[in-house]
Amino acid sequence: MSFGEYVISRWDTLSLAAAEHALVVAIAIALAALIGVGVGILGHGSPRVRETSIAAAAAILTVPSLALMTLLIPLTGLGWGSTLISLTVYAFLPIIRNTVTGLRGLDAATVEAGRGMGLSRLRLLAQVQLPLAWPLILTGIRISTQMIIGIAAIAAFVDGPGLGNQIFEGLSRLGSVNSLNATLAGTLGVVVIAVLFDLFFFAVRHLTTPRGLRVRP
Amino acid sequence: MFDRDTDGVRIELRALTKHYPGQPAPAVDNITMDIPAGELVVFVGPSGCGKTTTMKMINRLVEPTSGEIRIGGKDVLSLDPDELRRHIGYAIQQVGLFPHLTVAQNIGLVPKLLGWPQAKIDARVEELLALVSLEPSTFRGRYPRQLSGGQQQRVGVARALAADPPVMLMDEPFGATDPITREHLQNEFVRLQKQLRKTIIFVTHDFEEAIKLGDRIAVLREGSHIAQYDTPAAILSDPADDYVAGFIGQDATLKRLALVRVSDVPIADPLPDAALPQVTGDASLREALDVMLAHGSDRCGTPSGVLTYAALCAAVGSRPEKEVSEGVMSGGEVR
Ligand SMILES: Nc1ncnc2c1ncn2[C@@H]1O[C@H](COP(=O)(O)OP(=O)(O)O)[C@@H](O)[C@H]1O
Ligand SMILES: [Mg+2]
Repeated sequence: MSFGEYVISRWDTLSLAAAEHALVVAIAIALAALIGVGVGILGHGSPRVRETSIAAAAAILTVPSLALMTLLIPLTGLGWGSTLISLTVYAFLPIIRNTVTGLRGLDAATVEAGRGMGLSRLRLLAQVQLPLAWPLILTGIRISTQMIIGIAAIAAFVDGPGLGNQIFEGLSRLGSVNSLNATLAGTLGVVVIAVLFDLFFFAVRHLTTPRGLRVRP
Repeated sequence: MFDRDTDGVRIELRALTKHYPGQPAPAVDNITMDIPAGELVVFVGPSGCGKTTTMKMINRLVEPTSGEIRIGGKDVLSLDPDELRRHIGYAIQQVGLFPHLTVAQNIGLVPKLLGWPQAKIDARVEELLALVSLEPSTFRGRYPRQLSGGQQQRVGVARALAADPPVMLMDEPFGATDPITREHLQNEFVRLQKQLRKTIIFVTHDFEEAIKLGDRIAVLREGSHIAQYDTPAAILSDPADDYVAGFIGQDATLKRLALVRVSDVPIADPLPDAALPQVTGDASLREALDVMLAHGSDRCGTPSGVLTYAALCAAVGSRPEKEVSEGVMSGGEVR
């Protein structure tokens, strides 16, 4: 069977796996963005929170993904739960760090002017600081997404969703019928998902970056 | 928010002190001062003497360690800080415009916080842009990054004026611009304040600027101690001590000449003389002297007659060694 024939014959399985792969990444990144940006906001004002959270997020990344997923099995079982949690925590570091960097990197005069004009801390955050830091925060989210799209393939080992099954099942029986096709189809699917997510973020960036930050002087 | 009398609101500082934690000495040490309603008072002093700290205590960006502040009779420390700040104009050297908002949105922000209807905000933005000499139709929709430094400063001033606050705090607002733009902004600001008569505290380390803008000048030394607090003319003619004299520099008399306009001095001869070098009535006596020196003349023509060197001397309270003209004028009452 050629690669093309293989993809056509297994289209249902492949497309379902790809959709699940994209879905688990999307949910994980949404959770990580919510939590990570929140922690970043707390962290930009408090050195304690900042240092602790960044150190913790960095420490998580040093744990091999297979080990983390396996360790989670007693807590969240096989499948979606463990996959989702590990992907979420792996995504923290770039998001927290970019949120903190973005907020701390703002022109001090802008923030002082805002306070001096009578914007409350909350309003200043919502109307000035976050919009200005947003391009950097979004970059953090995008980097995290690219990172966990790859890691999501490992979820196959804990019976998780996604294209990992194709890849590793193929690899485990290399040499037999269609084994290379399965691995190839899974890998290619991951690449396609990565490209699609990147296009998505490109569009989001374009649509959500305040115009005043895009204009040429 | 503040009780205004006809002139605006006055500001009273009483034993105001700020001691930053971990600093050996207070940055502001027990300053007591009255800023009359509708006057522009300049704080001038060397870098680090506590000017900014003193000013920021008034809008509570810095919380005083002790002391009292009253604006229009109201105890500032008992008010909600955010609410207070919406009624005090604030302009700083680095301007701090919001880069993601248009010029109109930057200016309209405080009025919006105060709940003005949009139509009123739009009209106010137009009015203010015109006031700071920026063509509204051109600049309304621009973003801060599309403005020159001088234009940003103007928008900064317009934004501080937006909700028509009775009090303005300005911390070296023209400090970051080139000398020509700065001079231009200063001139405009003098004209503006003539119309507005707001109570303004203006911080600078540039004594020339202080003379040019201030109704009164507070010369400060380390710890925001007041070395002298008086009108520019009084400080120039009678500096309190060597510190103040040092600040004025060697050319106090020339600086005093700069304070007086040609149209404010009596003239020797009420008949215009086209043969003489000419100055306008708006020119300062310093400029008139410059014209005389440049032409080797002891007199120059003004729109209303002839101005003599002797009249310049009289204006600063001195007499020429030798009478160079017959019609020496009695010292004109200046200021
Ligand atoms: N936030 C701060 N924390 C500690 N010290 C400060 C702070 N702000 C200013 N200072 C100190 O207080 C003194 C007065 O500063 P400042 O009011 O900014 O002076 P000026 O505006 O006259 O240059 C300086 O010695 C400065 O180092
Ligand atoms: Mg200062």
